[in-house]
Amino acid sequence: MRKTKMQFSLGSENIITVLLLVAGAILPFFLSTYRVSIFSYFFTSAILGLSISFIWGYTGIFSFGQAAFFGIGGYTYGILSKLFDNNALTPVALVAGVALAAAVAAILAWFMFYGGINDVFVGLITMCFTIALSTFLGQTAGSEWKIGDVSLGGFNGITKIPTLYFGSYKCDKVTFYYVTFLILAAIYIALLLLKKTKAGYSLLAIRENRTRSELFGYNVPKIQVIVFTIGGAIAGIAGVLYAAWGNYITPSNLDLSASTLVVVLVAAGGRKNPTAALIFTIAYSIIANTLSSSGSQYALVILGLILILVILFVPNGIITAAFDGIDSAWRKFTGKKTESEGGETA
Amino acid sequence: MSSETNEKVLLELIKVSKQFGGIQAVEDFDLKIQKGDLHCLIGPNGAGKTTVFKLITGQYPVSSGRIKFKGKDITSMSASKRARIGMSIKMQVPGVFEELTLRENIRIAAGNYTNAADLDAETERLIKLVKLDTIGNPPVRNMSHGQQQWLEIAMALSSNPEILLLDEPAAGMGPEETAFTADLVNELNAQGLTILFIEHDMDFVKQIARNVTVLHYGKKFAEGTVEEISNNPAVKQIYLGNV
Amino acid sequence: MSYLYQFCNNFSFLILSAIGLSIIFGMMGIINLAHGEFIMLGAYITTFLATAGVPLPVAILIGALGTGVFGFLIDRLIISHLYNRPLDSVVATWGISLIMCQGMRILFGSSIPGTSTPLGSFSIGDGKYSVYRILLAVIALLVVVAVYFIFMHTKIGLHARATMQNSSIASSMGVNSNKMYALTFAFGSALAGFCGGLYAPTMSITPDIGSNFMMESFVTVIVGGTNPLVGTVLSGGVLGLVRSFLEMNMGTFAGRVGLLVVAILFIRLVPKGFSGLVDNIRKKMEVKKHAKN
Repeated sequence: MRKTKMQFSLGSENIITVLLLVAGAILPFFLSTYRVSIFSYFFTSAILGLSISFIWGYTGIFSFGQAAFFGIGGYTYGILSKLFDNNALTPVALVAGVALAAAVAAILAWFMFYGGINDVFVGLITMCFTIALSTFLGQTAGSEWKIGDVSLGGFNGITKIPTLYFGSYKCDKVTFYYVTFLILAAIYIALLLLKKTKAGYSLLAIRENRTRSELFGYNVPKIQVIVFTIGGAIAGIAGVLYAAWGNYITPSNLDLSASTLVVVLVAAGGRKNPTAALIFTIAYSIIANTLSSSGSQYALVILGLILILVILFVPNGIITAAFDGIDSAWRKFTGKKTESEGGETA
Repeated sequence: MSSETNEKVLLELIKVSKQFGGIQAVEDFDLKIQKGDLHCLIGPNGAGKTTVFKLITGQYPVSSGRIKFKGKDITSMSASKRARIGMSIKMQVPGVFEELTLRENIRIAAGNYTNAADLDAETERLIKLVKLDTIGNPPVRNMSHGQQQWLEIAMALSSNPEILLLDEPAAGMGPEETAFTADLVNELNAQGLTILFIEHDMDFVKQIARNVTVLHYGKKFAEGTVEEISNNPAVKQIYLGNV
Repeated sequence: MSYLYQFCNNFSFLILSAIGLSIIFGMMGIINLAHGEFIMLGAYITTFLATAGVPLPVAILIGALGTGVFGFLIDRLIISHLYNRPLDSVVATWGISLIMCQGMRILFGSSIPGTSTPLGSFSIGDGKYSVYRILLAVIALLVVVAVYFIFMHTKIGLHARATMQNSSIASSMGVNSNKMYALTFAFGSALAGFCGGLYAPTMSITPDIGSNFMMESFVTVIVGGTNPLVGTVLSGGVLGLVRSFLEMNMGTFAGRVGLLVVAILFIRLVPKGFSGLVDNIRKKMEVKKHAKN
């Protein structure tokens, strides 16, 4: 019986997945170029959200550090693309940004997980790390903080960052939309597929019970380091794309509220489910964007209230709960026949 | 001691001690488990039985002493490495993943030792082994206490271990479930698996154990065959007398 | 002398801003992300009363009390449903902090008129020292002593310590752990409010002043570990030293960043912070005593 429910929950999620991908692919045909461009920005938040879903939802590593890796990606891309001063080399800056974010994540992870630090303490260390980085970047206004002739710019950050180019082809507006969309879709699909693989099960094991996994022969710290590094790389991609999209990056992209916001959003959407994380981060971006452009001062109050209500009443996340709701309605509608069907596939 | 007997020793603890803060949990504890043995560790509450298990599996580092497994010194080996070279445990509090289904649990345990292609077949084999193949695929939290214990035994067997440690395999079970567990343990042992277990229930111990070690205040109190121990008056006084 | 002054300054700031957070974290395992906003609330209440003519010390105490009551309400309404779910409480308290910060802005605008720092200042040599700042250091010490007294010498403190060590055993012995948690949360909130009240005269009062305290209080608690007393005092002391040294020699920003780097390194070497370190040392000494006997 229980299994049936799960089967169908996966079913409705699959339908939503396909719908989301199709919607993403055809969106530019229905919206103005300006709106399409805004959606590229939402997608960078969604990629950041997926990095949390991967390390926290899949593996149980609670991190406030994703905003830092986002920042490292963005700053690296900004600095290098301006240093190169050659648009054809922007993809190199992209790769470097991702690589550096991954490398820093790997070092931090090695430092923590081989030191036996876990759970809420990982959250605290990554929080410190993030604040340290943003504090440091915030005080780089002076002329001594220059790399080549690129100024780090203190609170104003780095501006006039070039967008991505492929050869001499400038990748902006709708093209840029498709680049971010494809990257987002690739990461998202990879996460969905991962669930069913052996590697996916080892992450699940660690999330559910570290000690037990160790006794089943899993090298827990090693797997945690790998996961955290990949999570850092994903956040790094998001940061690079953000910097290329907006042509700027500032310390506020990685301050305390930026680093907690993304965690909170994924938690509220449903952290164990990448689809839920994806939908909720994008939905939040849309709502926040609309509210702030309508100028309502109640926007943040409403958001805070939503978060509290979600945690109190649907602790598994609002989108996950919605999937379950749709599925049970569907089961009632189709009756018992489908139940036995589900049992067979079990 | 002749080299011949040494070869038969699968697991050996030599003067193992463990302190927690000011508390001496295990003191100068020696233990030898022969290949193929069905050995029981008994003792009153707080005697340090579970601590000994955790020292063997590597969950705790020893304070002093050495542990040998298959003739190799594993004292400073990590828990996951010990598991991979043939040591498996069923913990006292069921160490199953409650939020996951029966098969997901087995797959997690077996995933480390089985090719992706064989994983389904291996999963079914293990489920059959502990006779859980008739209940479908429920989430583990909906399974009975006994079923959870057997599931964990199946998970522990997924690595094809050379020694299986069972921490109170029959705890909290009804008579029927206990009998089934005893059969299961006997059957596994008959197939050549060395088993070391902790148990409170003396009837259960008599049903299956061959050799018994008695632990008292972290020290070895007595050792012998199950008959010797159950007729030992000193053991009766500290332990059996209270049962 | 100026080094000492700087140290007192940093020490009292770290201790006062962290103690409330630390008590809640140590007792309940909850990271209160709204801690900064609780401090802000205390500062607002104090400032309103002080500008209305209430003597400052009274205003500060009412600020602390008001924040404590507010904390109690928040606990009953929200936090009490999240005991044993520490990660969920992170999300909830973040929501609370959003509402408080923006709510204050809606109610009272982006800043309110403040009160000036009382008691003036004096100079020794080239240095100019604020009497109020020195008083704050004294108060920080008094707070520590008071918290110590409450925890070690009152019945409520005993129950609190029992709950902290093992809530199920404590409740089996008749301690109502839900009540203890509610009291703890209220008490931690009151201390946050007290901190806000004390620092209200030294800064301009805006809805987001909480963020000025957040980083320091978190770092202090991280380095201190779960023991609200020993941990907070030791980590406040050590971090105060580190920070003063860096600030005097390399500037304010180096002080801030250095503080964080030290915290990260420290928690890696001593995962349970000063509380764990002290525990270990104590246990080792017991073992030695044991061995002698």
